[in-house]
Amino acid sequence: MEEYDVPSAASILASVKEQEARFERLTRALEEERRNVSLQLERSSLPSDRLVGGTTGGSNQPLAWQQMVMQEQSPSNQTSLAMMQEPQEVVEETVTIEEDPGTPTSHVSVVTSDDGTTRRTETKDNVTNMKVTKMVKTVTTRTVRQVPLGPDGLPLPEGSSPLGSYTDSIDRRYMKNGERFITPQASSTLTRSYNNYSDSYNDTPDSQFRHYALHDGYGDVPDNYGSLSRGVNYRPYRPYMPTGGYRPENSYTLPIRKDDYGHVAQPQVPMGSSTVDLNRSQPERFQPEPYGLEDDRRSLGPDDEEPYDIEPDYSTANRRTLPGRTIREPLRNGPRVRGYEDPIETELIDERHPYIHGMYPAPLAQPERGSLASLDRMGGRRSPSIDSIRKDPRWRDPDLPEVIAMLGHPIDPVKSNAAAYLQHLCYENDKIKKDVRQLKGIPVLVGLLDHPKAEVHRKACGALRNISYGKDHDNKVAIKSCDGIPALIRLLRKTNDMEVRELITGTLWNLSSYEPLKMVIINHGLQTMTNEVIIPHSGWEQEPNEDSKPRDAEWTTVFKNTSGCLRNVSSDGAEARRRLRECEGLVDALLHALQSAVGKKDMDNKSVENCVCIMRNLSYHVHKEVPGAEKFQDPSALQGPGSAGTQRKKNDDAGCFGGKKAKEEWFNQGRKNGEHNKNYDTLDLPKRTEPTKGFELLYQPEVVRLYLSLLTESQNFNTLEAAAGALQNLSAGQWTWSNYIRATVRKEKGLPILVELLRSDSDKVVRAVAIALRNLSIDRRNKDLIGSYAMRDLVSNLPSGQQRPAKNLEEDTVVAILNTIHEIITDSSENARSLITAQAIDKLVAINRTSQSARETKAASHVLQTVWSYKELRNGLTKDGWNKTHFQPIATGTPKGSKSCKPGYDDTTLPLMEKNQGNRGCSGGDMIPMDELGPDGYSTIDQRDKDSKYKSSDGSSDLQEREPLKNDTNRKHYIRSNRPTVSLVDACDVKPQPVDSWV
Amino acid sequence: MSFIPGQPVSAVVQRIEIHKLWDGDNLILGFSIGGGIDQDPSQNPFSEDKADKGIYVTRVSKGGPAEVAGLRLGDKIMQVNGWDMTMVTHDQARKKLTKKNEDVVRLLVTRRSLEDAVRQSMMQH
Repeated sequence: MEEYDVPSAASILASVKEQEARFERLTRALEEERRNVSLQLERSSLPSDRLVGGTTGGSNQPLAWQQMVMQEQSPSNQTSLAMMQEPQEVVEETVTIEEDPGTPTSHVSVVTSDDGTTRRTETKDNVTNMKVTKMVKTVTTRTVRQVPLGPDGLPLPEGSSPLGSYTDSIDRRYMKNGERFITPQASSTLTRSYNNYSDSYNDTPDSQFRHYALHDGYGDVPDNYGSLSRGVNYRPYRPYMPTGGYRPENSYTLPIRKDDYGHVAQPQVPMGSSTVDLNRSQPERFQPEPYGLEDDRRSLGPDDEEPYDIEPDYSTANRRTLPGRTIREPLRNGPRVRGYEDPIETELIDERHPYIHGMYPAPLAQPERGSLASLDRMGGRRSPSIDSIRKDPRWRDPDLPEVIAMLGHPIDPVKSNAAAYLQHLCYENDKIKKDVRQLKGIPVLVGLLDHPKAEVHRKACGALRNISYGKDHDNKVAIKSCDGIPALIRLLRKTNDMEVRELITGTLWNLSSYEPLKMVIINHGLQTMTNEVIIPHSGWEQEPNEDSKPRDAEWTTVFKNTSGCLRNVSSDGAEARRRLRECEGLVDALLHALQSAVGKKDMDNKSVENCVCIMRNLSYHVHKEVPGAEKFQDPSALQGPGSAGTQRKKNDDAGCFGGKKAKEEWFNQGRKNGEHNKNYDTLDLPKRTEPTKGFELLYQPEVVRLYLSLLTESQNFNTLEAAAGALQNLSAGQWTWSNYIRATVRKEKGLPILVELLRSDSDKVVRAVAIALRNLSIDRRNKDLIGSYAMRDLVSNLPSGQQRPAKNLEEDTVVAILNTIHEIITDSSENARSLITAQAIDKLVAINRTSQSARETKAASHVLQTVWSYKELRNGLTKDGWNKTHFQPIATGTPKGSKSCKPGYDDTTLPLMEKNQGNRGCSGGDMIPMDELGPDGYSTIDQRDKDSKYKSSDGSSDLQEREPLKNDTNRKHYIRSNRPTVSLVDACDVKPQPVDSWV
Repeated sequence: MSFIPGQPVSAVVQRIEIHKLWDGDNLILGFSIGGGIDQDPSQNPFSEDKADKGIYVTRVSKGGPAEVAGLRLGDKIMQVNGWDMTMVTHDQARKKLTKKNEDVVRLLVTRRSLEDAVRQSMMQH
């Protein structure tokens, strides 16, 4: 046991031991007490069972008991460690939260007890000064010795209260239901929720209580939110949310609520069996808010395309696995500790299912239904009063204009509820989004971003995030038009709330997928996003503390969203790149994050992918665009005016074949470099007097190792592609740094790594690597090495005529490979010989003659011509049965060209390059940073665009824009991790998970 | 120990190395975890800050490898073999811990008593 960061290890160790010993003593004492109590409980439970029949008279008792609790938990001992009277309760901590004064005060204390339960005690002063204490018990982990009864060890007072009877009845229920509820854990969970009910139940008997309950629904919201939102679990509340949402104050919307509520509540006074009680007590629970977001998920369940997002039947899945669950087994056998959420799943299983199927879009309208069904199932029968609620026609949803009007309601919770509801409505519903826009809801929501109350701006932001998602760019424009982008950025600066930050950055990511907004985002948000998110989460420190170890990056959702946003905006042309490069700390932080990813071997996640993509994009054209670049230009390779300009535009058409430079010029460069590079093996890299920072880091030879590590280790095809693309960008061009980079790749043994990746299953990885190899072979040594070692892998990726190899690479990739081969054999008869040895001629001739693709045909034809140009090879070729005609352009090639999308470029004599330039000129599109010499780089990006266009139709989020996700193995993984965050706030809870896992 | 975005996270950590044990066909560590960014942090009985979505040790089996290595109930796991555990889902954490091909896991954990101890000693100085 070593200790870190501790000034004086010995003294601390001593004090730790001391503390631990004390704690141990305390624990022992507590356990002793608990044992006593459990015995008492055992005794007391029996009578309570008998009382289940629940005389109405019993209803006063819970009050008395609760009163007692309240005293113990009164605000005065808020923060101190308090000992509950019930001896078995070890109070580890008491948190008291005061509601804001405008609403009835509510003190909530959370007590974690040793037996693994969390108890929440809420004390309220309602308007009438009535003191009501509410006890909510939550079962958490670690029950070591579960008390046989009183399922959660809740002390049941003598002369049991309804509380007692509830617990008890539940207890019985599981017994009846058999093994499913047999574990103490499950029982405690149930108890928890029923305790809740009992609480609301207490409210019912007279109007004062009812009144309280109405307020309660509201007052509760903030603190319940956290857990409720996780909360499938809390299903039972949900049905009643409509009322709560529009508390007494907003009765204008749903005027009947209050009365209704009374009616409903009243008849529910205990009668008959406990199950009936349960039914009865629920309707009083108005818990509107927490469910706003959950609803989306639940209600959309069946419609959602992503299986695990909602997984309409995931609860059933749970149920299926339940009995045999490994986690559970041990629990049954003995008193073990319990996961803190697990039991709740059990509780839910019955409830959510019917709901999901029963009432898709009407979370507010008919909320009862789901839970009734479940209650029916659970209870076996239901009370008549509930039937009447369900049929009550007066319950209805507010319509959209009403909801939007509520955004401007003077009372904050109404605003936030309305926004939350709006978020729910907009979820994957383009029609509603459009309606919201047309009803002028967006400016109001944007206005709410500046609202001081966290609840309000959070919900508004959630709604904006959903609205901003989708292919309807008008929604994005609408957000921008009312200055939504600066407002989001302002809020990002202001808030420390992780959830809000996730929402803001998610919204920005969505917005950043629309080209015209990219520059706006850069203008308003670049430095803020960098300072607030990228730098802190990357672990980079501007002035690193010498003593401390460098911090690692944290792959938070916020970081992921922000890097995704920057990734999108980084493709907005030269100006965008310039701004990003010059953004203080950005490149440094991204680099640090990537280095930390490499260090931790955590290179497959989305954030890394985003960072590498940004780096790749920023590396594009560095040799032309960075300040002072001209000083480093290689004078021997100054580019003529005819070569591609710095402002080369992206070619949007995936079918286009983008070449950049006149062929000859390109060849010359190769030759010249060849000569130069001979020296580079011995040449030292430039010495630096001060540490490099900012954009200079982009092209320092040190980055080569980083990209190579990513290429070696990452399993994420997008990351692989981007890392190869970065090398491709850096090794392009004629300036000192690209010479260094090319040499460094060789010295760092990067060529074999790249060659290895030619075997990748991913089309675009193969393509990016092929183009990178092409650029790298500008260096003569590289060319020789690549010719010797990569030829076989390059050739094996080629199709044999019409018969595609197993990989079935896309046309772009095949063309890229052919161009790379062409580059490698140019000026090297040795390499041409390797090509022949690799049995390439068969394939090349087949492609030349039979390929359906004009571009493939042409590229193959160039290779063949070059091969034939080596007179020394002809002899051998003739021996193999080839003749000149095989190496000449096929006359019919031109007609074939007409099939392609760019018939005009079918000039066989010359080149790819010029054509493509013309092509590029007319496309006028955005420029996507890619390689300089590798035209095919463009297709990679185009691919991406294509993907993003269709993206929304496949139900993936805007967040994915520019992130193709097409690749098989990765896909699942990524969708998995991204999916939940798609349009919802509390995305993470989509899938109930085992909460407590043995490892 | 709560995490505020943008603020550096500081924690007093302890390094714990657990050698997994074969239990039948399974390699076990002998403890269980709770928490994760996809779980309800308010229900975590061990965390100081109820918004903390970190991974916590919720059970430690008697005499198991984890106990032998010094892991305690309620420890917050910061890293597993260098992987960050403060911002992961429950399942991700579980997977990182249960890799079949690793028979040793190195944890970085923090616990309240450690933190308090450090705080106290700092105040004395």
